[in-house]
Amino acid sequence: MKRSKKLLSGVFTLALAGALALSGCAGKSEPVKTGGTNTGTNKGEQTDQKPDGFHFGETPFTFTYYVNYDWWTTEPWGASPNSKWVQENLHVSVEPIQSGGAAAQKLSTMIASKELPDAMMMDRGPDVERLRQAGALVPLDDFIDKYPNLKKWAGEETLNMLRSPDGKIYQFPNWYTAAPTGNDGWFVNKKIYDELGRPKLETFDDLHAYLKKVQETHPEVIPLEVGREGQGVEVMFAGFANDHPSQFSYMKAFTQGDKLVTIYDNDAYKETMTYASQLFREGLITQDALTQKEDQVKEKLATGRVAVFVGGNATNLGREGHNALRSTDPTAAYEFIWPLIKPGVDKNKVYPNGYNALGWNVNVITTNAANPEAIFAYLDWLTGEEGQRIMFFGPPGSYWDEVDGEGAPIPNDKWFSTPQEEKDKDKLEAYVWAGNATYVDTTKSKIEANLPEEQRNWGAVAQLNVAWKTSHNNTQFNNIDPAPDTDEGIILQQVNDLAKEYFGKMLFAKSDSEVLNFIEAAKKDTNGLGYDKVLDFRTKVWQENLAKMSGK
Amino acid sequence: MQRETITSAATGAAVSHKEKPLWKRFIMQWQVQVMIFPALIFILIFNYFPMYGVFMAFQDYSLFKGFFGSDWAGMKHFEAFFNSPDFFRVMRNTIVISLLKLFIGFPAPILLALMLNEVRNMVFKRVIQTISYLPHFLSWVIVSGFVISLLSVDNGSLNILLDKLGLIDKPVNFLSLPEYFWTIIVTTNVWKEVGFATIVYLAAIAGVDQSMYEAASIDGASKLKQIFLITLPSIMPVIIIFLILNIGSLLNAGFDDLLLLGNSAMLRDVADVIDTYAYRVGIINNRFSYAAAVGLFKAVISVGLLTLANFLARRAGTSLW
Repeated sequence: MKRSKKLLSGVFTLALAGALALSGCAGKSEPVKTGGTNTGTNKGEQTDQKPDGFHFGETPFTFTYYVNYDWWTTEPWGASPNSKWVQENLHVSVEPIQSGGAAAQKLSTMIASKELPDAMMMDRGPDVERLRQAGALVPLDDFIDKYPNLKKWAGEETLNMLRSPDGKIYQFPNWYTAAPTGNDGWFVNKKIYDELGRPKLETFDDLHAYLKKVQETHPEVIPLEVGREGQGVEVMFAGFANDHPSQFSYMKAFTQGDKLVTIYDNDAYKETMTYASQLFREGLITQDALTQKEDQVKEKLATGRVAVFVGGNATNLGREGHNALRSTDPTAAYEFIWPLIKPGVDKNKVYPNGYNALGWNVNVITTNAANPEAIFAYLDWLTGEEGQRIMFFGPPGSYWDEVDGEGAPIPNDKWFSTPQEEKDKDKLEAYVWAGNATYVDTTKSKIEANLPEEQRNWGAVAQLNVAWKTSHNNTQFNNIDPAPDTDEGIILQQVNDLAKEYFGKMLFAKSDSEVLNFIEAAKKDTNGLGYDKVLDFRTKVWQENLAKMSGK
Repeated sequence: MQRETITSAATGAAVSHKEKPLWKRFIMQWQVQVMIFPALIFILIFNYFPMYGVFMAFQDYSLFKGFFGSDWAGMKHFEAFFNSPDFFRVMRNTIVISLLKLFIGFPAPILLALMLNEVRNMVFKRVIQTISYLPHFLSWVIVSGFVISLLSVDNGSLNILLDKLGLIDKPVNFLSLPEYFWTIIVTTNVWKEVGFATIVYLAAIAGVDQSMYEAASIDGASKLKQIFLITLPSIMPVIIIFLILNIGSLLNAGFDDLLLLGNSAMLRDVADVIDTYAYRVGIINNRFSYAAAVGLFKAVISVGLLTLANFLARRAGTSLW
């Protein structure tokens, strides 16, 4: 027994020695790697020697690109007509790095192993900031001055909002915009609506009466579909008071004077939850609201088993559902309607949509990139007129041959004869990483306006007529949340978890008074966690944003 | 030649057990010992070496600074976990769900094995066995898809069935109401795993000496008596070993199944267990040290439980070590 213990300890000593040797190796390799990242700046100096910057085609150029979303797959380069055009004409190629459905883990792994890609697309905010603090990002200020397009289209004010605390710009915005954008809202099933005699549908009272009628006459149909995780309820919130964008509901806070305060003190929020709970209790809202997956929602829409839809991404879900209905029944349709309101609310002050002048997200270039200027040059080309035209609408000779005086492509015969499903197969939009919504949206509206009714894109019409007109400028709330590993961030995460739980409880509540009790409880619990600290943090950032926007 | 060395080494070891010191015996058997080496190295590299990562639980781990550059934080993350408002709920759910899985999921395959053993028709037995173990090979993603489409309110098969039978007048929201969750999770687990676990017990039963049954039936023991007095005691060592292993993993209430079926915020009260909590709060929010602390806490408790179970089993006469 004693002897075998000796043997065991011998083996362990050996193992420990081995482990130490191994970890020693790991320790040693680190400084070498950081040395490698330093060369990035050296190369930046090299390119500075060329006075004219980077010229496409002089040397073929390839960079690696990663998109930090679970659901995103970067399409292979050269597989689509537009990326092929870039490959052949600009001699730029991209090697995609995929998130594999677990973006947060993938990014962490790449940071930890010091193998960041040359460029990345990701959300603004804490992730960008922690990369910047670690010195992993290349500042873009010099490039912005040197290349024409981003400066021209995004404008000074937007770029200022992107400045990091050290005063430099590290982020290349994607789908930045000068005009309102948005996809959220309401639509109705035209067939059922016609059958029931098209009653007035403007207020929440109208809606309740209509849903009741649907329930009686069409028991197999879901009166009100609210999408995944009941997001429709948050979109609905916008209709309960003037100037209460749905963003308030997402933030779990609203503006009161120059402060952000908890949403649980908001009367419109109380009314929203009471109303939603009542509809849910009466079986008028889909009972699977909190458990269903996106595909279940799409299936219901595609088979026409929804009478009214409210929720996020409505212009796209509606378009897909509309086209699916049309393929089997030419008389079926979905109709996008103006957001519903509480009686007394001004319908022109209702904002279920929000937009941020900074757009959707940003591109960053890492210090791992051998030639950051070349990447910037490509992104700058992409965001310019020619880049947007080719990347969004397809290369010349595909769906257009000529451009008009303002640089908008003029649709050719193939544009009209090719069905939308066929066009979708090109996946053109998937390659637009520096989207310029100002250019694309005006061009899209111009083309759409010249089309005959039948050929118009359902989603584009819905955006033009309703969604964009009911969109609130949320640029002031940009980057308002604390980083997740700070004290405020930890509180916010707990608050969000609790808010989600209470949201479900309110929806499932058995009476109106129970809803109000839950709101009180939610307020008490979130305050108990220290929500006021988060709100103070947000108020500070919000005020800073307002100052920046008014051009300090 | 080789066989000779092995046998001589083996017998040599047995004979010289008292006379020669350990290292001499070790050298005498070097050919045999060398064979263990690859396995030892494998375990060291893949099981022991990565364990340095648990120290992360005592750091403020930063991805950029790396393991060697991060600051030490002492017990901060453990304290944060114990003081977190979620701690008691998470612990309660973990223990309740795993106990339910243990009490229902553990005897189920034994019962199925005993039943299958009595089936005389070989074709029927094979068919049942195959059908019952196939779900084991389905991933939880697929199984949860089945469950969701079975139990949904809109167009869910079970609700349609109950409605057609006139047992309910309006659909039941099985997936959203907390009171159904534990039943659903335990039932699906049993359905998915019962057949596969049965294989082991069937094999153990096949090894029971047939002459005992003959003797028993001559003595007039009924089928039921034979099961309780011969089959069960004969496979008891196997059952106990599996029970110990199960108790050791008592805090593994499950991860995939709970994450996929219990993701709705309505169910967090009943579905949030240590693993899903560590994933949701730690990994998703980049709080790696916190996740590591929660994981380490779980591992420590598990080792304690395993030791305790083994101690109890040893007193009963069968044990793992």
